[in-house]
Amino acid sequence: MAASILERRDLKAPTDWVAYAFIALFTVPFLIFNVAPILFTAYLSFMRWGIFGPPRYVGTANFRDAIENDHVRIAFGNILLYGLTIVPGVLVLGLLAALYVHNRWPLSSFARVCFFSPYVVSATVIGLVWVWLLDTRFGLINHYLAYLGFDYIPWLTSTTWALYGVSIASIWWDMGLAFVLILAALQDIPGDLYDAVEVDGATRWQRFWYVTLPMLRPVLSMVLTLQLISTLRIFSQVYVMTSGGPASASTSVLYEIYTVAIRNQKFGLAAAVSIMLFAVILVVTLLSRRLLREQQT
Amino acid sequence: MTVLTRFLKSHNMRPADVPIWLFGLAVAALWIMPFIWMISTSFKYPGDVMTADIEWLPRRVTFQNYVDIFTKYKVWRWTLNSVIVVVASTFLCVLAGALAGYALARLNFPGKKALFFLYVASLMVPIEVYAIPMLLGIIKVGWANTYQALILPSVGNVFSVLIFRQFFLNFPRDLEDAARIDGAGHGLIFWKIALPLARAPLIAATVIIFVLNWNNFLWPLLVTFEDDMKTLPVGIAAFTPLYGTATQLEGYAMAMAGVTVLSVPSVLVFLILQRYFIQGISSGAIRG
Repeated sequence: MAASILERRDLKAPTDWVAYAFIALFTVPFLIFNVAPILFTAYLSFMRWGIFGPPRYVGTANFRDAIENDHVRIAFGNILLYGLTIVPGVLVLGLLAALYVHNRWPLSSFARVCFFSPYVVSATVIGLVWVWLLDTRFGLINHYLAYLGFDYIPWLTSTTWALYGVSIASIWWDMGLAFVLILAALQDIPGDLYDAVEVDGATRWQRFWYVTLPMLRPVLSMVLTLQLISTLRIFSQVYVMTSGGPASASTSVLYEIYTVAIRNQKFGLAAAVSIMLFAVILVVTLLSRRLLREQQT
Repeated sequence: MTVLTRFLKSHNMRPADVPIWLFGLAVAALWIMPFIWMISTSFKYPGDVMTADIEWLPRRVTFQNYVDIFTKYKVWRWTLNSVIVVVASTFLCVLAGALAGYALARLNFPGKKALFFLYVASLMVPIEVYAIPMLLGIIKVGWANTYQALILPSVGNVFSVLIFRQFFLNFPRDLEDAARIDGAGHGLIFWKIALPLARAPLIAATVIIFVLNWNNFLWPLLVTFEDDMKTLPVGIAAFTPLYGTATQLEGYAMAMAGVTVLSVPSVLVFLILQRYFIQGISSGAIRG
């Protein structure tokens, strides 16, 4: 509301030519390092280009190659699996942690720091720490699982488990963002909504189900979208923890793009897979925007 | 008893809440155990690391792992690279974002709406999608393994613009109007009035972009293939057992020393400026 009034006032004002100087410092690098490479990616996806010689137009051959490429197919299947494990994990744990900290019980700020802090460290830290924790023979996780009577699980070295090992580390890394966003939304719920149902004698569960959860729906859809997109982009953890292996079991689309480009030097194919990944991200974003809007009306 | 009831009451707790409260605290403590284990391992003798007994507190403490990573590997050099790259790119990104955000919120110029739309639309294309083609371009102009190649692509981070635009849109413009009547130009108003008032988004943007840049992985990995130009996260990542370097030879002790060093700056900045960090992240600017 405030924004639209301000903008209307701006329209009547004379043009501030100096504005172009203001935006230049941001816009010039933005155009060179964000916009231009995007256009270049689209161009390359229709070219065949190795290290030697100029790029050659090949039409949609790269896309056909990508679809027929087993590694690429496995990678798209894997990010689906990653999405099915990481996204619900992050959403549920983030919601529970936020509800807990929102009570403002003693030491809740300690809990807040604990739940959020993994989010601020680098993928290298996440990766190496979890490779050590998930070590088959001496890792902490298997050590304590053995107490509970489980056999040692080869978390990162077997084709069955590698993807889930990486997922556990990713949930630990990403949960902080979901947690903080949901916590902020909890704090924005007006208190009188709770007072109203309190009068009707609602139980704590009913208050959660009929007031909190509906009020959280926008933020939950937003977190869902953000997490879906960041899971589609999963790369660094995979790179550090498993290199996509064993036998492509934990590879991701970005990891395959990286392999195709850096190891095999097929830049056109890499660009085509990039465009396909972008298309998936775009569809997810637009669908969830649509879902959000339907909820609000 | 009365002490307990008073304690419960002052924190708005019912007796039935106490187990949940304690359970939650236990989970929170458990959640940071990987960090504790990381630090604990980093102070162990390599021979004490891969053992069947779990030693949370090392029986014998050594600093040798830290000495080793700085002397046997180029951790000094990588730290220096990281500091140069992160300071420069964060400074440029925040300054550029403040200027552009101010212009979008306060100034009137043709193309403003289109530009803003372009910024927001670009959020849908993550850098990973165009990193490889950008790398080809960077190699073509001879910028591989250079600081400018590490720094400049981080400047155009739209988050920085959005956080300042949001702030200036919601901030009363009376002071700036008064200065304008006194004949001050936009540049002067921005420097002398608007920017000092924008302390909160300035700190929030700096902290968040600092952490993002410090942890940046894919782009530095792609654009540096000389050991001397690696940044700290990329350099330390080579301690992973997969590549058969440090970890396989020396166990996890040194790897954990490396990642402890790597976590300290971003965790410290977060702990000290927590309020700004969390506010900045949840301010809505990130939603785009």
